[in-house]
Amino acid sequence: MENVADSDLMDALSRISDVADRNSTIEFLKDVASRYALNTIAYFGVGVSGQNEIDPYLAVTYSPEWVAHYKNRQYVDVDPVVRLGFRRMLPLDWDEFGNPTGRLKTFFGEAGEFGIGLRGLTVPVHGRCGDRALFSVTSDLSARDWASAKLLYMRDFQVLATHIHDRVLGIEGHASEPAVLSPRELECLQWIAEGKTAWECAVILGLSQHTVRCYLESARHKLHATSNTHAVSIAHRAGLLFDPL
Amino acid sequence: MIFAVESADQDKYPELFDEMFRMRAEVFSGRLGWDVKVENGREIDRFDAEDPLYLLSLDERSGQLRGAVRLLPTTGPNMLRDVFSVLMPGGTVESPLIWESSRFAVNPQIFEARDRAEANHMVNRTTVELLCGMVEVAQRAGIEHIVSVFDARMARIFRSIDCRFEQVGTPVRIGKVMIYAGLFDTGADMRSRLGAAGDFRSSVLADGAIAPASATALVANVE
Repeated sequence: MENVADSDLMDALSRISDVADRNSTIEFLKDVASRYALNTIAYFGVGVSGQNEIDPYLAVTYSPEWVAHYKNRQYVDVDPVVRLGFRRMLPLDWDEFGNPTGRLKTFFGEAGEFGIGLRGLTVPVHGRCGDRALFSVTSDLSARDWASAKLLYMRDFQVLATHIHDRVLGIEGHASEPAVLSPRELECLQWIAEGKTAWECAVILGLSQHTVRCYLESARHKLHATSNTHAVSIAHRAGLLFDPL
Repeated sequence: MIFAVESADQDKYPELFDEMFRMRAEVFSGRLGWDVKVENGREIDRFDAEDPLYLLSLDERSGQLRGAVRLLPTTGPNMLRDVFSVLMPGGTVESPLIWESSRFAVNPQIFEARDRAEANHMVNRTTVELLCGMVEVAQRAGIEHIVSVFDARMARIFRSIDCRFEQVGTPVRIGKVMIYAGLFDTGADMRSRLGAAGDFRSSVLADGAIAPASATALVANVE
């Protein structure tokens, strides 16, 4: 039922339901980091709190020493990821910063000493209500391996970033609206529930496979589901699907 | 050549962006008669404040703006959900792997100072180049689908250049025109079909770089 390439992501997402507070968010990020052989992962959300719009939400796998050092040195004023990331739409590869000089050079140099990888990538998240987030991963891969890893995992990072963000919105008491699935999304899920593949759904519904995948992707996102199977089960419990034929 | 420019970088190219907003006014209000708000000859809407990504097609030699398109994530505010929801009454598509494109425009100045056949060729070529740019930039970001709202005229153009799309939702007549929502995939097949249609075999993105240091400087480098 699922794409083979999805299995890494499904394994990584299988523990997202454990995320209930900051500590479990960090545990989840550590698990994802080890699955993808990353040095570190950081989640930085703004506008995520239902009560206080100013408070940023931070969950990082960095060492407490680096976090303390970062605060002491007020590196938030220097950190180019924080300065540039929130208004970005494209993922930000830290190579874009080129060869930093001055305080920025010191910043990256010290970050390396504290275990942050040589290479970094930040995926921005745009939410519905002005909420934004940055999902940053770092790695010590060679330039060549990093280029191919990025290509391979960019999609996973996009999905992971959004899942964590949605989870954090929940933790912070953002009322989540009930999922509204379109008739087409429901039709696709209904056939998946009947054990059909995406290809079979496409034939039955007279759509292209790409369109069926798009509807399923959208349905998974709206239901906060980690897989098609998960989406079917959530939709079923919510009474969105017909009983099996 | 296509330049992908983040909203935060538009201050670096004030003239280029000013030209784009004026071109949009001329195209959408002037030529197409859409009900868009034009102020001081520039068409700017609230989605331009949501930090979209712009793709600009620039002439390699003169640096002239040939066309532009705007991309927004479907997880945030977007036109299909917030303006054209009538097209998908059952709910729009939404996912971190789906972007929305809007304000797809080819510069009418292309029509001037050219004979009709050459102008048509340039319009088609710019259209295909922008579409190639959309597919390439989506691929780099891990995006698999692009949803878009367009009119019957654009639908005909897409068909004529083998840019396959699947209509989603129900077409609606708004003012003088029929408006459609369509889904495009951003896979390798799509890119090679478009490449064949417009003779764009290699990447159309400037320098392979996502954020140009300076559009004029980069165009100068190309020469």
